[in-house]
Amino acid sequence: MGDVGALLAGFETALQPQYLLFAVIGVLLGTAVGVLPGIGPAMTLALLLPLTYSLDPTAAFIMFAGIYYGGMYGGSTTSILLNTPGESASIITALEGNKMAKAGRGAAALATAALGSFVAGTIATVALSLVAPTVAKLAVQLGPPDYVALAVLAFLTVAAMLGSSPARGISSLALGLFISVIGTDSLTGQQRFTLGLPTLGDGIDIVIVAVGFFAVGEALHVASRLRRGPIPLVPITGKWFTKQDFRRSWKPWLRGTVIGFPIGTIPAGGAELGTFLSYATERKLSQHKEQFGHGAIEGVAGPEAANNASAAGVLVPLLTLGLPTGATAAIMLAAFQSYGIQPGPTLFTEQSDLVWALIASLYIGNVLLLVLNLPLVGVWVKVLRLPRPYLYAGILTFAALGVYAVGASVEDLVLLFILGGIGWAMRSFGFPVAPAIVGLILGPIAEEQLRRTLAISQGDPTALVTSPFAAVVYCLVVVAFVGSQWLKRRQARLDAAVFAVAQASTTPGGPTAPVDDSRLASTARASSKEDGQ
Amino acid sequence: MSTIDTSGPATERAARSRGPIPKSELAVAAVLGGLGVFALVDAHTIAVPASASAVGPRAFPYAVGALLVLSAVGLVIALLRGDRGEVEGGEDVDTDGGADWAAVLKLTGSFAALCVLVEPLGWLIAASVMFTGAAWTLGARPWWRALLVALVLNTVVQILFTQLLGVYLPAGPLEGVPGLG
Repeated sequence: MGDVGALLAGFETALQPQYLLFAVIGVLLGTAVGVLPGIGPAMTLALLLPLTYSLDPTAAFIMFAGIYYGGMYGGSTTSILLNTPGESASIITALEGNKMAKAGRGAAALATAALGSFVAGTIATVALSLVAPTVAKLAVQLGPPDYVALAVLAFLTVAAMLGSSPARGISSLALGLFISVIGTDSLTGQQRFTLGLPTLGDGIDIVIVAVGFFAVGEALHVASRLRRGPIPLVPITGKWFTKQDFRRSWKPWLRGTVIGFPIGTIPAGGAELGTFLSYATERKLSQHKEQFGHGAIEGVAGPEAANNASAAGVLVPLLTLGLPTGATAAIMLAAFQSYGIQPGPTLFTEQSDLVWALIASLYIGNVLLLVLNLPLVGVWVKVLRLPRPYLYAGILTFAALGVYAVGASVEDLVLLFILGGIGWAMRSFGFPVAPAIVGLILGPIAEEQLRRTLAISQGDPTALVTSPFAAVVYCLVVVAFVGSQWLKRRQARLDAAVFAVAQASTTPGGPTAPVDDSRLASTARASSKEDGQ
Repeated sequence: MSTIDTSGPATERAARSRGPIPKSELAVAAVLGGLGVFALVDAHTIAVPASASAVGPRAFPYAVGALLVLSAVGLVIALLRGDRGEVEGGEDVDTDGGADWAAVLKLTGSFAALCVLVEPLGWLIAASVMFTGAAWTLGARPWWRALLVALVLNTVVQILFTQLLGVYLPAGPLEGVPGLG
């Protein structure tokens, strides 16, 4: 039961007033940036990473925990209140929430999302505290070939799961690997792909690539195709949370947690899959099937819980194996590396204080989110009303600031903008950005382990597959590939159904058409009747 | 390796079309393939010290170059089979219609101004020029209101970073002004 003691010690650290303050700042900043449209959790982390550079590691990671959970949560407010279709990842969560808001039940949608995030986040963090040390103890026995196998597993699943087709995912991954090779080889000190430019001699800082791909790329993308006209915000109306809402929400919360946590721990492309499976489950089990597609509270409660549970699940492979399973985790890994800390099985023994303080601040961050977010919802609505020209000019400013603050180098700024241009091109041509980020960060680790394996075996490549663990992982690669294609087919079917519903209710003259409103009004009447019972 | 096989259900979410392949999409595949060829050729010039073990500094770059070439080929096959790149959606993105190149050029100009001005004129002034340019490009009117927002924002940034976080930002001609330098 040494882990409980370590966790309590972590709480002792994280509850010190100055660290608590960092947790509050992290949650507030994370939520505020996460609420901004077009900014996902990965971009939130990349943009705020430079802010933590001047802090000591413990303070930085406590703030990071807050930013991580805050950024995850912030997105749900956006999808519920902003009446424009977002990216496909948030559509599942957004669909019912946005319909509820339009039907006059926005408050209940926000409440079930916040409470569901809290319940799922807390249960999943408990699971993380229990599972991670055990996994770390087992992982100590892994050798270099086993890490090569894990990296291959992560590469292929991330490339196959994210994006519209494997060809595009692998292309993005290859680009990330290419960028990771640029610089000086860490083992022999040789220059690689530097074109003789001194700027590239030390390689390209991960922060520059992440901020360039996510922030500058997104700003250019939006600038080139800005949606003009007023911001279609749905006002928050209705009762916050009734007994009826609770009765319909608590089971989806728990089911979402059970679905989301394990999905987060496997390299399946992050939270998107968990939210989709939870939505499908709730639709199947609901007694109000007819409300799905028109604002069913189960369709918000389940996916929101799954989303937050998988956010905690993602930390299991990250902390115990140093294996990022998505873009957000990859940027977390980069943050660890910037402090000279390499996540992996030894992290729990060598940096025990830091890890447990981080886990403790996840619990604290969850409570803070619940306490702060519903009262502050008025502030988040104001954030959503930010005029778009100022918003994207501000994103560009902070992207440049973050990169310039690290090294005060104009060359870095130029590099940032070039990478932003690549990020824009990827968005315009339908290439997912996340595999590139995972390739960039996991590439050097994979290369080092590969060379170590072959150095030990004196060049015999069979050493890569003769380790039993590695062999099992390669079998899993095959299973995961088949499985991911099956899941994608199911997701495609659900997407099609969801889009059909969305189309049916929005096509006649746009989202605010009278037809749509009257139909929603009748749904609203139906649900308010239920509330009264 | 079946990872570039796009006949599977994975492409159901991608846009399918039987029309001609847009030249721009082929150009993307060409750029990717070109990058791969460059990687393969340039990897050959990486010096291998005598001390290097079985796998030296060249092996991984070769593998990356090969992967780039293979993915370019895979992309062309996918395009031939009807896979089309879909513009990524977003809350503020209008996916109908083409890209507004003029806006992107103006934005590039604003960012270039920051790069040129940040050392001689300092962060506050250079970043305010960029912010104003970017906001104006995206439709902020009148321009002086954008400038006002930019000056307030960047003054706060300059004070916060140099005074509170201890991060260096050049002050330019404002060097010596309390709180900014």
